[in-house]
Amino acid sequence: MNINDFKDVILAGAVVVAGAIGTYLLLPHRHGLTKPTAARWIGGVLGAVAIALALLFFTPPGTFLRTVFFYAFAILSLAGAGLTITSRDPVASALWFASVILATSGLFLLAGAQFLAAGTVIVYAGAIIVTFLFVIMLASKQGCALYDRSARSPAGATFTCFLLFFGLMYTLLIAKGDVSFGGLKTPFRGAITARDVTPTTFGPPNKFGTAIHVFEKAIPQTSRLAPSQVVPEAGASASGIPPKHVAGLGGALYADNLIAVEAVGVLLFVALVGAVAIAGPKPQPRPGASARRSTN
Amino acid sequence: MLTFLGLTALLIKIGLVVGISQGAVAYLIYVERKIAAYAQDRIGPNRCGREFGVPLGLIQPLADGAKMILKEDVIPKYVHKPTFILAPMIAIVTATIGFAVVPFGPVGAGAPRLGADWPVQFQIAPGVDIGIVYILAIGSLAVYAVVLAGWSSNNKYSFLGGLRSSAQLISYEIPMGLSILGIVLLAKSLDLNTIIEWQDRHGWGIFWQPVGFLIFLVSAFAETNRLPFDLPESEQELVGGFHTEYSAMKFGMFFLGEYLHVITVSFLTVILFFGGWDLPFVLSADQTSWISAIFKVIVMMSKVSLMIVFIMWIRWTLPRFRYDTLMNLAWKSLLPLGLLNLTITAVAAQMILGG
Repeated sequence: MNINDFKDVILAGAVVVAGAIGTYLLLPHRHGLTKPTAARWIGGVLGAVAIALALLFFTPPGTFLRTVFFYAFAILSLAGAGLTITSRDPVASALWFASVILATSGLFLLAGAQFLAAGTVIVYAGAIIVTFLFVIMLASKQGCALYDRSARSPAGATFTCFLLFFGLMYTLLIAKGDVSFGGLKTPFRGAITARDVTPTTFGPPNKFGTAIHVFEKAIPQTSRLAPSQVVPEAGASASGIPPKHVAGLGGALYADNLIAVEAVGVLLFVALVGAVAIAGPKPQPRPGASARRSTN
Repeated sequence: MLTFLGLTALLIKIGLVVGISQGAVAYLIYVERKIAAYAQDRIGPNRCGREFGVPLGLIQPLADGAKMILKEDVIPKYVHKPTFILAPMIAIVTATIGFAVVPFGPVGAGAPRLGADWPVQFQIAPGVDIGIVYILAIGSLAVYAVVLAGWSSNNKYSFLGGLRSSAQLISYEIPMGLSILGIVLLAKSLDLNTIIEWQDRHGWGIFWQPVGFLIFLVSAFAETNRLPFDLPESEQELVGGFHTEYSAMKFGMFFLGEYLHVITVSFLTVILFFGGWDLPFVLSADQTSWISAIFKVIVMMSKVSLMIVFIMWIRWTLPRFRYDTLMNLAWKSLLPLGLLNLTITAVAAQMILGG
């Protein structure tokens, strides 16, 4: 067994350990007490090291500008996520969450998924986090309450999250074909192609035949997990005008995945009806109704 | 693939658009003051620059701008400083980057060419397929500026203004999105330039979508915080609303952002419902010469200017809504009307126009 077989796993382990310790040190105290400044400094440095090590796993896409933007968005989203859970001010947390959303939609844009990027911004940053802010601002009167400054079981949460993170990274490394342990042949190794990781190919073939490939034709292959895959330059063809994404996305949603879209629609509608039923004004008890009950 | 030359051209274009739009804002404030003056039977600013022989007080915008920059910038002690400083930045950034997908002349196949293969696109990011959705996404971020300004000021008036504004902006985004969908269904594209070209061939959007136009116009007024809906800063109730505590250029940035929104909304109205650069029987997408391109830009700018004047005129025509009537209008009138309009358009597009 060669040490080279393990080097990615070791790197992943280093990321996870540094990230976990850093996050734990940065998280607010269990009972809302102030942590020593040194602990937060060390935590910050460890978190930065973890992010820097995690960046080694990424394959920068294409040209110089795209690489710059890719790393900027990646660092902003990772650091923003850390700051979301570690800042002591709930408004700051909400704002960092918003920055994570913006950075993520920036990554979507780099990958050529324009509609997804805009949709993410509208739904998350434009509606959900604004509602968060609304509630936070209405709820917290003067300064931050104790329950805002304390983290509930930070150690357990950190351990669970980073264990899950390690599991994910390990799975991705196996799928990528970089890791094989002691003769354990991974089924993906070498045989994986770009088509295999495109989600639409998992669907059953339909009788319209062509509709199932609408998505593939319209959206550039963007998964960076497949080893043999060349990431095409998203958003540019020979004429300088990007291909039509939205039509392809619509075709994929309403031809290939119609049932799923309808099911989600029904689910959301049920939730909406439920919200209205809960939030609606309660009917005033009729005069005498409560009196009658009390006499019974 | 972005070449060095292409990048330079892009940066020049961005500089031009940002510079012109911000310069236009200065003069929009002048125009607004003049219109306000005429509406109230006054003369309005007419002195500034008389010493240098400039008529009509045309230097007034420069004086206003200089005043904004040179005034003392007061940051009160009780504010939440990071967000207090962040809020005006968000206001100006969200108002500016919306222009990235707004075409201000012919784009795509109709664009004039420099030499054989250098089409000059009158748009910063030509051919962005999601065009209008991008503008909606950016617009949905603008609410952060108002909410954060109101909250960080740590002042009851500002806070109430921020709360009102966030509810108002979020509510009116929904009818606005619905009103746009009708014309999108007809033109079969979210790209603003494709929508213009469709109108060039089939007639202006206002004739196809009169109800959509009405809903869009009302929601647009609400989204820009213009007068019948300027509850976030209603002077009689909230002093200055969310920007009560702001002074000097920080206030100026909110002001600039508001007027940039007015410009964006006017552009959108013209592009979606008044045919963009189109002039029936005179201009069409097939003309690709430089003369026609310049003419198209002039037509578009004239339409946008008329729209801006219309928005300013409305300000002195209608009184302010009460808060509950504002919410009722959005949720009980515009939203059902928008849904009805969308359904009718979808059915008609499918059955009559053949999908």
